[in-house]
Amino acid sequence: MLVLTRRSGESVMIGDDVIITVLEARGDVIRLGIQAPRDVQVHREEVYRELQASNREAASPTQDEVRAVSKMMKPPFTSD
Amino acid sequence: MTIRTATRPIEATMSDPSLGLPTITMAVPMPGFPAHREFVLVRLNEDGLLYALTSTEDPDLRFLVAPPEPFFPDYAPEIESEVFAALNTKDPDRLLLLTVITAGANETTANLMAPIVVDRDSMRAIQVVLSGTGFPVRAVMNPVY
Repeated sequence: MLVLTRRSGESVMIGDDVIITVLEARGDVIRLGIQAPRDVQVHREEVYRELQASNREAASPTQDEVRAVSKMMKPPFTSD
Repeated sequence: MTIRTATRPIEATMSDPSLGLPTITMAVPMPGFPAHREFVLVRLNEDGLLYALTSTEDPDLRFLVAPPEPFFPDYAPEIESEVFAALNTKDPDRLLLLTVITAGANETTANLMAPIVVDRDSMRAIQVVLSGTGFPVRAVMNPVY
């Protein structure tokens, strides 16, 4: 891991087009501003990890699970 | 091209490589699936509430998705203009909102924190992360009928 020391108002560049600026440091809370191209998504790590886990869990349900969900979405009088 | 008929089983429709449906391109891959960008939306039930977002590169990969409105009538997330730009959206009314469903043994949940937004004109999509909104990743779905 590269470790850098920055003051507020100073920035770090990642590659050619991602700029991370330290906006404010107060105690153990640091506010960062991130400029990145629109195809680079920026997320808080814990949010991203949670979403990644949820997507993996949702991926490729079994046929039984598909049937159960499909049934739940049908009016009760429709025969399956 | 194969024509889908009502008598075709779900399994055949979902594993059929000749789907003949418009391809949806993920403008940004879904978290956890960086290599999958091309999908088709396969309708799974006649009421139009359940679809399978199926990878064209890997037919084994699919996500159950549904429009959130019938299940979560109060759900009206705000979509930021950066998303419109990433989708090449010209008319926001042409955006389709889909929620990713996790089918579980005891309950079925919908991911309201990260809906998939599809632009029906550009056929581009993105899983938008609504962090800081309080929308849950696992909202329990109840039958609408």
